[in-house]
Amino acid sequence: MTYADENRYPPPAQSYGIPPRHETYGQNPWPEPYGDDAARYDSYGRQAPWDAPYAHEPHRDDADLTALRSAYRLLRRISTLTALGSFVVYVVLSCYAPGLMGSKVTGELSLGMALGILQLVVTFAAVFWYGRSAQRSVDPLARAVRERAVPTGRNAGMAR
Amino acid sequence: MNDFSSGTQAIILVLFTTLVTVTLLMCVMAGPDRDDLANFYTGYLSLTPLKNGLAIAGDYISAATVLSTTGIIALTGYDGYVLAVSTALSLVLLMFLLAEPLRNAGRFTMGDVLARNMSGRAVRIAACVVTLSATLPFLVVQLSGAGSLLTFILDIPYAAGARTACIVIVGTLMIIYAAIGGMRGTALIQMIKIVLLLGTSIVVAALVLNRFDWSPGDILRAAQHGSGAGPAYLQQGLQLGTSTGGRLDFVSLQITIILGVACLPHITMRLYSAQDVPAVRRSMSWAVGTVTTFCLLVIIMGTGAAALVGSQHITAADPHGRTSVLMLSQVLGGAPGSAGAAILYSAVAGMVFITLLSSVAGMTLAAASSLAHDLFAHAVRRGQAEPRTEMTVAAWTSVAVGIVAIGLATTVQNWDVGVLTTLAICIGASAVAPALTYSLFWRGFTRTGLLAALYGGATCALLLMVFSRAVSGTPSAVFPHADFDLFPMQSTGLVSIPFGYLAGWLGSRLDHRRRAADSREQRRLYEESEARLLAAAE
Repeated sequence: MTYADENRYPPPAQSYGIPPRHETYGQNPWPEPYGDDAARYDSYGRQAPWDAPYAHEPHRDDADLTALRSAYRLLRRISTLTALGSFVVYVVLSCYAPGLMGSKVTGELSLGMALGILQLVVTFAAVFWYGRSAQRSVDPLARAVRERAVPTGRNAGMAR
Repeated sequence: MNDFSSGTQAIILVLFTTLVTVTLLMCVMAGPDRDDLANFYTGYLSLTPLKNGLAIAGDYISAATVLSTTGIIALTGYDGYVLAVSTALSLVLLMFLLAEPLRNAGRFTMGDVLARNMSGRAVRIAACVVTLSATLPFLVVQLSGAGSLLTFILDIPYAAGARTACIVIVGTLMIIYAAIGGMRGTALIQMIKIVLLLGTSIVVAALVLNRFDWSPGDILRAAQHGSGAGPAYLQQGLQLGTSTGGRLDFVSLQITIILGVACLPHITMRLYSAQDVPAVRRSMSWAVGTVTTFCLLVIIMGTGAAALVGSQHITAADPHGRTSVLMLSQVLGGAPGSAGAAILYSAVAGMVFITLLSSVAGMTLAAASSLAHDLFAHAVRRGQAEPRTEMTVAAWTSVAVGIVAIGLATTVQNWDVGVLTTLAICIGASAVAPALTYSLFWRGFTRTGLLAALYGGATCALLLMVFSRAVSGTPSAVFPHADFDLFPMQSTGLVSIPFGYLAGWLGSRLDHRRRAADSREQRRLYEESEARLLAAAE
């Protein structure tokens, strides 16, 4: 399966309608422990004038999103290709190498049947693995992107 | 065939009535407020991941899956095992590839996902047409199956009208569930169904294994013997033959299933009712776990049916083996007339009944939601409809969809319409899957591309299906005596899936060339919404 979104494209500078002063946290954009503490954002929000001159700041948000996008893409590609690939190989082998798949493993159990049941059993592990990896690679980045977006409203409300 | 005393029939009738009463009560109590759309379509996002996962699994394991898959395993062995694996993996693929962005992009229906960046009514109408063309065949095939199954279970002698009466009763119940219960009500029924289904299946599978002293080798030997096929039972090829064409057809069918089943609108619709991305992931984990467990149990039950009932008896009752679970439970229960036999048979009958009811209710709800939300609220009223009006329309479209489905099902009840399941899955794989993958992952996807993928994929699948060998030309076809099988396969995926993807791509290229400004705007909108798509950021 191919994704047409592979091509790198110039990130739009004016994205998400977030005013630059909110891009200003002198903070590392990476998955630091982003708590839910609104206070922290508040204080950074007030520091905005100090941070504002940094010309590269508008890209911070894009960097987050780019990282999230590629993390998702990697996860998606590995997991989908593994699941789909193993199944396609299994079906093709079943059809075109019946001798191999018919060879007995133990007793009446043939290799083909064993592989089929193995795929079902491995599914549990695969789902568990997917959840774990998504939690580690994608969720922190997603939280970062989300919290960039949310404080806009929250700070704006508090500033008034 | 069904040689049970009137005592068993009484137990079954009481059980059916209890199930109907309890589920109806739950539906009424869980039903949404009169003018709350979010409540009707998503149930306030209030389901926990476990419950939502069970509801997804319940929607996913339709009556067709339970009955046909067991039958196919009992009759064709290895081919059936592959079918069980592909059924489980399709949901895995949905979880890995689409579930999370779908949840972020969608609101109530598939039209919301596809139209999120694309204005215009054409997109909504296309989404609605494809939703209907994928759910209605599935609905009709299950309803018409309900007729023959219920007459078999209740042992009503075949008379004109008995099946029709069963279809009408099941259809009426399904309309009530969908119209009154909404998403939350049907979710509750799906949960009850999946618990009953898993519980009964575990008992039946354990009894099968127990009969053979928990020795897989003995079961397989007995199944080879019972199927009458010998060693061929454990090799690919009984279902569609071992010729080159037959094998290609088999590969095509499996690929279609793995891409298509999980994309069907009534399943993706459940994803929108998850609270957030981790919740949808946990829901899907529960759903995949449940479905995979069930597929393992189906393998045991199907093999047990071949071993204990024997394929001669199975095909005598139904050429596709859809009654094999019921016949297996008759054999397992012990001597006819004993209490054990009556209880086991009633339990399995109840399981089949609630599975039928809940799966048709879920599909009716999906079709009705699409009609009300995509067609009425957005295409006809251009998004200006009052929530209250939309709710009323959604209830009435449930009734309309239900009546149409009942009408179609009674018309085709004497035909062998199993091919409609294949049609629905083919449309899912060749129209819904391309549209969703492009729309979620390709920033260059445009309106023309979307319409081309939806209409092109669906039309291609439908046309090829009409001229396929499943409809005419073979003894097991819908019209065995007619002969217009120009497309020499049983399923259309091998051609129609690439066609759907190609149509979407070509349509988008055409837009890039002809309407460069529009497609740039489309790309900008995609990029603007990407934070929402990937991170659920507002």
